[in-house]
Amino acid sequence: MESRYRLQRLLFFKWLCYSLVLLLGAALQTTPGFLTIGEAKPVLILPICMAVACIEDPYQGAWFGLAGGLIWDWTAGRVPGLLAIGVATVCFFASIAVVLILRINHMNFVLLAAAGTWLVVSMDFVFNYWMRSYVQPQVEYLSRILPIVVFTAALSPFMMMLIKRIQKKFSPEE
Amino acid sequence: MKDFFQTTRFKVLLAVCVVLSGIMAYAGANGRLQSAPQELLTVALVPLQKITAIFSNGISGVADHFVHLDDVMAENEALQQENADLRKQLVELDRYKAENEMFRSANNLKEEHPEYTLLPGFVIGRDPLDQFYSFTIDVGTKHGVQRGNVVISEHGYLVGMVLDATYTSSKVVTILNPTLNASGMVSRTRDSGLVTGSDWLASEGLCLMTNLPRSTQAAVGDEVITTGMGEVFPADLLIGRVTEIETESTGQSMQAKIQPGEDISSIKQVLVMLDTGTVVAESTTQTAEQSDEEG
Repeated sequence: MESRYRLQRLLFFKWLCYSLVLLLGAALQTTPGFLTIGEAKPVLILPICMAVACIEDPYQGAWFGLAGGLIWDWTAGRVPGLLAIGVATVCFFASIAVVLILRINHMNFVLLAAAGTWLVVSMDFVFNYWMRSYVQPQVEYLSRILPIVVFTAALSPFMMMLIKRIQKKFSPEE
Repeated sequence: MKDFFQTTRFKVLLAVCVVLSGIMAYAGANGRLQSAPQELLTVALVPLQKITAIFSNGISGVADHFVHLDDVMAENEALQQENADLRKQLVELDRYKAENEMFRSANNLKEEHPEYTLLPGFVIGRDPLDQFYSFTIDVGTKHGVQRGNVVISEHGYLVGMVLDATYTSSKVVTILNPTLNASGMVSRTRDSGLVTGSDWLASEGLCLMTNLPRSTQAAVGDEVITTGMGEVFPADLLIGRVTEIETESTGQSMQAKIQPGEDISSIKQVLVMLDTGTVVAESTTQTAEQSDEEG
């Protein structure tokens, strides 16, 4: 009974920590001027969600991605749902990829985060820029979207390290 | 004898000799024969000396600490407290300074627009994916902000409009966004047009004034202000300066690139123009709530 209680407590604190990291990431992501290089500012919510998805199972990852995406929608002032669905889908397939074919190491996670970020920000670009027929979408894409992808991917190992640390701290074996 | 050459002792000896020969050869070649052993000794000794020096200093330091420990601790505590107090004062001073500057500007603006109450707000969020620099401010419906309230800078330049207001924060869409249109006028020539954001100018921090008459005498450097038509934006609000004038693609009118008076991409403080009616209603509600609580 006691061990079951302990297990539940560990699980609770683990997800609490994940959530706090997500909130911190969301706050930093929208902080004006924070980590801004030229036009590019990294997206922190996405790699945090992907790291959780890669460490936990696909369904938990997808739910966490959904929550992260909704926070992103909310902080970006977008119609709630689009980014949430995007992030949840990316997290789910990233987790599947880890279960079936990929080993989690820094390089693989950087590539995974780059692919996931590219998909989500490109989707946002298509719906919020390209489909509105603004001129020179390719210039905007190259000068703004691609640097965001690169910047986010470069920072993603730190998110993975942090999430791994939390997972290790609250794993039942400890 | 033959066995001797096979012994370990001999091999060690030989090795030492070889090393020494090497040292000598090196020293001889460099003309520093006398100092070679000394150098070798130094090489070996320096790290050791360093370690012992650190150890020694550490010990004397520790001893010193123990001798004057109480004094040092008391002094340290006092200094830390003083430091913390000073830091706190510094933070408060910075905030007062920023607020003071903003209130001074707000006071001038209030005289120009007595029908509005100006509510200061700080920019607390910007989304990396937003191409038109929309931002979130730290005031919301709790403070009387409503969707559609006009947002200006502390120097009175038009910044944008409240797109959505939550209880404690509001989302502001800027004049760089093509969805925002304001009726504008070139102050010097009184030529009017439509000021709006442009997808191809937003990244340069510029907006566009379209529908200027072909005969316009507007020139680079002219100030652009709002006309107040449409009753969305109050009249005579500063927007920015003309940086370039060209013929529109239709050839029937002119358009001007406008440099907004404030750098929209990095603005940190703004003023929300609240209708006096809204504020009165808000304060009346608050007073009513207070009297209910007191009752």
